[in-house]
Amino acid sequence: MNRLNRLPTLRVNPSEKLTFNYIGSSCQGVKGDTVATALYANDVRIFGRSLKYHRPRGLYSMDGECSNCCVEIDGIPNVRAETTLLRNGMNIRPQNVRKSPDTDIMGFMDKMDWAMPAGFYYRCMHKPAKLWPFFLKQIRKAAGLGRISPDFHMKGRYDEIYPNADVCVIGGGAAGMTAALTAAGQGLRVILLESRPWLGGFFDYRTAEYTPSQEGISRTLCERARELSEQLENAPNVRTFVHTAMIGAYSNNLITAFQTGNKSDAFDERYMEIRAKSVVVATGCIERPLLFDNNDRPGVMQVGCAHRLAQTYGLLPGENAVFSVGHDLGLEAVLDLYDMGVSVACVADVREDGQDPHLLEKLTERKIPFMRGWTAHTAHGSKTLEKVTLSTLSGAQHREFDCDTLVASAGLTPVTGPLTLAQAKLAYDNHTGFFLPEKLPEKMYAAGRMLGLQSPLSIETSGKLAGLSAAADCGTSLEHEIKQTREELRNLAGPVRGSKFVTAPVRGQKSFICFDEDTTVKNIDQAIQAGFDAPELIKRFTAAGTGPGQGGIPGHNLPLLVSQWHTDSGLAVQPTTVRPPLVPTYLATYAGAKHDMCKRTPAYESQKKAGGVMQRAGVWKRARRFSDDIRCQEEVENVRSNVGILDASTLGKFRIFGPDALRALERVYVGDMSKVSEAKIRYSAMCNEDGCLLDDGVVVRRGENDYYFTTSTGRAGQTVEWIRYHARYENWDFSIVNLTDAFGVINLAGPNARKVLEKLTDADVSNAAFPFAGYREFAIRDTIPVRVMRLGFVGELSFELHVPSSFMQTLWELIEDAGKPLGIRNFGLEAQNLLRMEKGHVIIGSESEQRTTLHDLGLGFLWYRDKPQAKTVGAVALRQTEHQEGRLKLIGFRMEDASSRSPKDGSVIVDSTIRGYVCSARHSFALNEPIGMALAEPQLADTDTRLEIFEDSGDDRLYAKVVPMPFYDPEGEKLRI
Amino acid sequence: MALTITCPICGRRNGYEFRFGGEDKGARPDEEGLSPEDWCDYTHNNTCIAGIQKEWWYHRDGCGSWFTIHRNTITNLEAEATA
Ligand SMILES: [Zn+2]
Repeated sequence: MNRLNRLPTLRVNPSEKLTFNYIGSSCQGVKGDTVATALYANDVRIFGRSLKYHRPRGLYSMDGECSNCCVEIDGIPNVRAETTLLRNGMNIRPQNVRKSPDTDIMGFMDKMDWAMPAGFYYRCMHKPAKLWPFFLKQIRKAAGLGRISPDFHMKGRYDEIYPNADVCVIGGGAAGMTAALTAAGQGLRVILLESRPWLGGFFDYRTAEYTPSQEGISRTLCERARELSEQLENAPNVRTFVHTAMIGAYSNNLITAFQTGNKSDAFDERYMEIRAKSVVVATGCIERPLLFDNNDRPGVMQVGCAHRLAQTYGLLPGENAVFSVGHDLGLEAVLDLYDMGVSVACVADVREDGQDPHLLEKLTERKIPFMRGWTAHTAHGSKTLEKVTLSTLSGAQHREFDCDTLVASAGLTPVTGPLTLAQAKLAYDNHTGFFLPEKLPEKMYAAGRMLGLQSPLSIETSGKLAGLSAAADCGTSLEHEIKQTREELRNLAGPVRGSKFVTAPVRGQKSFICFDEDTTVKNIDQAIQAGFDAPELIKRFTAAGTGPGQGGIPGHNLPLLVSQWHTDSGLAVQPTTVRPPLVPTYLATYAGAKHDMCKRTPAYESQKKAGGVMQRAGVWKRARRFSDDIRCQEEVENVRSNVGILDASTLGKFRIFGPDALRALERVYVGDMSKVSEAKIRYSAMCNEDGCLLDDGVVVRRGENDYYFTTSTGRAGQTVEWIRYHARYENWDFSIVNLTDAFGVINLAGPNARKVLEKLTDADVSNAAFPFAGYREFAIRDTIPVRVMRLGFVGELSFELHVPSSFMQTLWELIEDAGKPLGIRNFGLEAQNLLRMEKGHVIIGSESEQRTTLHDLGLGFLWYRDKPQAKTVGAVALRQTEHQEGRLKLIGFRMEDASSRSPKDGSVIVDSTIRGYVCSARHSFALNEPIGMALAEPQLADTDTRLEIFEDSGDDRLYAKVVPMPFYDPEGEKLRI
Repeated sequence: MALTITCPICGRRNGYEFRFGGEDKGARPDEEGLSPEDWCDYTHNNTCIAGIQKEWWYHRDGCGSWFTIHRNTITNLEAEATA
């Protein structure tokens, strides 16, 4: 198809070709094309088939107000062809068709409308109940738009931004641009959002004369739009986002939107959350569809669609056109299209009077037949449009015209979605026929064509007024200017009278009020006959306006149509509600960039080089094991018989100091913190208010009112918050510092641990000088300061060295070198897990869950009950639950058959019912048999009780017996050597 | 998030930065003679005012302090204290 390529309004570059694929054939579009205009240029007239009746559907509007032009692009279904820019190499397919849109075998459904009255799903298929599953399957097969493969992977780059502004202007037409410029002129920071890829709105594609300025320079509307847009570009404090659809408005003037990126952007789509002090809504109008029989036939399109197709994209909608319009923009389009070479058979206007006389004059000059008080009545043509019947409004007279294009529109309708979302109150206005804002939320203003204004000067002045008002909300004193502008606006042309005509004099069986859901005027009648009176209810019953177009097509017609039935009742015309997102948005856009961030310890690289299998554990990446053996036998045995090193840097590490530091510790730790000394570590636990275990760790005192303590890895992030929360009502004087990332931790464990450490320090680390549970600070190689604890988590002689992170790598290498002659090895989390299990030590979240109290775990001895004045968190509950019956208890078990495998973690303990579950179980190399820990009902807690274990796969039961813990070295002698 | 919260140290910020800390129920009661019911009321039960309530917030992605604000639970906007 040839392009008109000399138009001043053109937004495409016809010399720059783009290639794409449509149902297997290669096609060409040009730069700037949307997918819809590119298809139109390739003579595609039937874009897809409708949901229910499989009627052919084509290009109708241009802003994605309906599903007619939803296509599948590169595997993504329901892409709106009208708002998606064409890119090289796109693979485009039609939707809801078997084979091709032109020869859809489901087309017979169109003859089935008598069988599918409004609400027939609800009314017909629920009886008999047993047939419902069958119907459900059939309906599911037929229903829904677009298909997606279950293993589809969404490609693309997504992002999110959270900009702040003084004023946010929604809508980049003349009113919005003026509002933005006005507010920016007051020195305010402005954000301007426009859903199309360029600014200009209704001015952009029109060459009609802009009311000349005082200097008498004549300009077209299009030139004026580009002038304003240029001014915005040069305004330093305006950020303009084009191709950005506003999708939500929330309290506090929070505006959400999504922006479509172009090639040079770092994203394909990004989510925006804009926080503004005040908001201007200038979203203009869309067209209100004219309802007549077969108003959905491809070839029927709205005024703006035909007009923009020509002016913006250089494509003539057809050769022979008939117009049926309801506002002056329609007449303007007639003249432009005629002048470009479209032959116009006839122009019907539903208005009896009120047309712009200049436009009528020009119609007469061109000898275009013009009929007042006439409307399109029926469109004919089996697949695409061939002929049109026009009639008078009453239906008394008819005339037929052959044509391939019918440009039809009942009038305009304001885009009030953003106002509704912001909880503005709208009321029906009889003069304009619009729903106009009656009461706007605080610091929100409306401007422009959406208020019913038509004259360019009025539109711009209303934008100026809104811009000034919004600026005043940001603290600028503008009372005088506002008053003056209001006066100015009063002297200009006010809102124009709007047509309220909705439907031609037809029975309405094939007059579609909603294309997305195939709802006809007859369906609305049926709903009203069934007793539904409010548009909101009729919408639910007939599904009109519930499709992807979000009510763009039926939104205004439905309440107008319904009100015709209420003429006597005096009921106000009520709009239906819209909800966010106003425009369909990818879930991927909401999901955002999906940055996977994690922390690495200072010894990460060394462990990786040593063959560590690094896995995600909470916020960290840690070494799970150092060989292919998932049981880690060599790692475990080396710790038991020789010496190993573990990177425990992820432990939470904190300093708490100040006169009331001890009070804070006493509040959160269940133990007696007043006993914490300088040379000895104290093991204790933190509980929540229910006495359930939250955290365990050790505390040491390093000086007066100065403590160092550790938490489990998982609690490191919340500890500061926790302690401050429980001190929030006290005026305590203490400070807490999170040292988790400032210190690395090495656990040097095994009977030969001391031999390694001795090589590195002059400090006396003998058992006599530095016994079990001791705490010492000394230097390694006279240089590296370390804080060393003798702990027993893995059940062997062990030194836990806390070292400033910057020294961690050096210390790690020193220890590896010193241990090399002995055969020192790394061990990872899996080995540690077995080693601590053999000792009966719990890991929070493994041997406990949210409901597990200290008592349940047999750790009640950690609780020091004689400090009520400390008001320890959890103490009340510990007291209350101390003798509570029926709670699950932590038990140890061995398998009855020592040669059997160990049960899976999480398996349940059963008899006739569930009695508990296995927390963790592993094969113990030290005992040469499987062992495990479980939480089970107290009746099962006695030694030698037989446990029946059920795993979720397989029918075989495993049998175990309860044994005392610890399993390994019950006297704890190995810790104390 | 539509909610904004004014941290006494950092100023007005997006609600995403904060963690909710519950209604303002006053200091912890004495353990002496405390009935399980009273304890449960203090720790778990809430007034759930439809209107302006005083409540705790923690500036998690900021200065790390706990403070109270007044919030209108109907509009989800910060409010002035009411008598
Ligand atoms: Zn703060």
